[in-house]
Amino acid sequence: MTVSGTGIQNLEGETDYDIVWPWTRPGGLRAGTTAVLRVKDEAPSLPFVLPPLLRACDHVLVVDNGSTDGTPEVTAATAEKAGLAHKLTQTSYPFSVARAGAEHLAVHERSVHSLAYFYNWCFAQVGTRYSWKWDGDMVLTTEGEVSIADLGWQVASGVPGVQSIIRVPRHGLYLESDRKGYLDLGLRNAEEWGFPIGPDFVFTKAFEWEIRTTPEPVRSIGLPHGLCVELKYLHGDEFAHWTDPESFATSYRNKRKRREWTVFNALKNGEVLPGVHEIEAPDGVHIVDHVTREWLPRAPRPLQVGLD
Amino acid sequence: MSNPAPQPPDEGALPDGSDSASYPRKVLFVAGAGRSGTSTMAGLMRILGLHVPQPEVDADETNPKGFGEPRWVVDHHDRLLKEALVQVSDARPEAWFETGRVSTREPERIKTAAWLEGHFDVNQELVVKDPRLSWFLGLWRVAAIRTGATPVFATMLRPPAEVVGSKQTYYANKLGSAHLVASWLNMLLHTERATRESAPGDGQSGGGRVFVRYSDLLDDWVKTTMHTAETLQLQHVLHCDSEQIRDGHRFVDPGLRRMQQTLADLELPTRLHDLTAATWEELNKLADPGGDTPAVHTALDELREAYVDLYEESAAISRSSVVAAEQRTKRQAKGAPPPAEERRGVDRIPHGVRAAVPPSVRRGLRKAAGRERPEDQ
Repeated sequence: MTVSGTGIQNLEGETDYDIVWPWTRPGGLRAGTTAVLRVKDEAPSLPFVLPPLLRACDHVLVVDNGSTDGTPEVTAATAEKAGLAHKLTQTSYPFSVARAGAEHLAVHERSVHSLAYFYNWCFAQVGTRYSWKWDGDMVLTTEGEVSIADLGWQVASGVPGVQSIIRVPRHGLYLESDRKGYLDLGLRNAEEWGFPIGPDFVFTKAFEWEIRTTPEPVRSIGLPHGLCVELKYLHGDEFAHWTDPESFATSYRNKRKRREWTVFNALKNGEVLPGVHEIEAPDGVHIVDHVTREWLPRAPRPLQVGLD
Repeated sequence: MSNPAPQPPDEGALPDGSDSASYPRKVLFVAGAGRSGTSTMAGLMRILGLHVPQPEVDADETNPKGFGEPRWVVDHHDRLLKEALVQVSDARPEAWFETGRVSTREPERIKTAAWLEGHFDVNQELVVKDPRLSWFLGLWRVAAIRTGATPVFATMLRPPAEVVGSKQTYYANKLGSAHLVASWLNMLLHTERATRESAPGDGQSGGGRVFVRYSDLLDDWVKTTMHTAETLQLQHVLHCDSEQIRDGHRFVDPGLRRMQQTLADLELPTRLHDLTAATWEELNKLADPGGDTPAVHTALDELREAYVDLYEESAAISRSSVVAAEQRTKRQAKGAPPPAEERRGVDRIPHGVRAAVPPSVRRGLRKAAGRERPEDQ
């Protein structure tokens, strides 16, 4: 996608949801970072996800997309309880969005149903110079929180020459109960989450999902392993946002999703695969808190990740 | 079986009944610009029971009571600064990004945490100080987390005119007041930002931070260090004994504050002067009880933005100087000698050697070479 003018008009003529690029607005962008979460039915995860994110960022924007489990109310209550409600903005996007895979591939990127359009609309609501693309099930560890906070103000200072993308590895944490979980360190995988806000960094369409454009050359920073977990509920449907499992059956691009599918189904069958750590929290401590505040921060470094 | 021989008390031994081994792990990072009283703060903390990881940098005539700087930390920072192409006094706002980038590297995080871990065998509460520390606060915060310690921060504040005067005196820094003041602004504005996660309130997670005026420390170090200890929960200081307090009084010398010039004495460019004065005013508020507030943070954010703008404008205006310097460097890299007319004999002598020649001798040499200056006559 080549960016020109002040925004994008969608194909459906939904003018209330046309995109206006934030850098073209009067006053422009301010220093700071905003984490953008696009969520649908993430009520169980957000009490773990939001507090460290609110502490680490200048602002958090939660865009609800058709939740039916009280996600907006949980979001507001969590921020309030953390004493950080002033850093939170909530909004909603009313259109159904194509699921990753074949369904996404079939939708034009200027349609309100396109993942790329949805992302562009969400990030057009950002008023800061830097953004984090975040999921409603990703929880920072203690080290992750301070790393994101530090890098955030450094890259969001508005100083020319420091525009950078930041990659953050994440590890699946499969939850069996409030006390017990399985941490998958069997896959080395880091995705690009941190991006400047500007015409060089907008979303466009890729094969299975959206992709963010970057200028040439661009600087990229990779954070160490062990800073973030992605919550997976062994009793839930973790793959509902995919068209069908066949969509990620072949491509190298989908190796993370294939690994998740394999680990998830093995655990459902009572099998703990190599690279997966069975972890039990002490009495009175939730497994997510235990893993993110104690187990991962104190694990020997470099963290042993991958199957060698 | 005989009883084991009694052991000498550990550094920072406590009154009977106290168990320093049960204190939670804590690292006090003393930050701020060099020549701002960081050595005095670190030295006091050591006297009052915290441990300065050994070995440390030797005292010299620039700091006769010692620096309180672990040698490893200084070497570690020196190497990282070189890799990031950042100077200890660096006025470039983007320098923070460059050092922050180095701080994300896993091998550096491992090294830093491993070094810290080893020193908890000696004492549960450590003090780490180095004028380069501010550049790497994020790296140290991570190291503390990895070792199960709480990182806390004390940032020393001294009027910029005094810092600049002190640097020029003690380090023979000939770069000019404007550059030194700009470096001070860059250091302090960003150090405040880098430690804000540890500020009280606002739902933040950190263990605490304090801002300490050097003048307050020299004026009443007992009151100032107790405020620091209470805010940061430094157990050794809270429980120190009377002999340690006596040692503190022997250590602190109000005469340390030798520089007392004002900002006006520096004759800075107007915008730089105004920014510096405003920044100093806001930083001072942080040192007041209950002064570490969101309103002050907002004011400092605006000043930081204004400084970035000023620096970028200045850099754009002086771009020709940079291009010329790059060309000189390229020429030197290729080994080509500069044009003959530029190579006076004196230019072949390193600046440091020339500076060491007394002015009266230099005048005599210039006269002998027929290069007298008006002020020589």
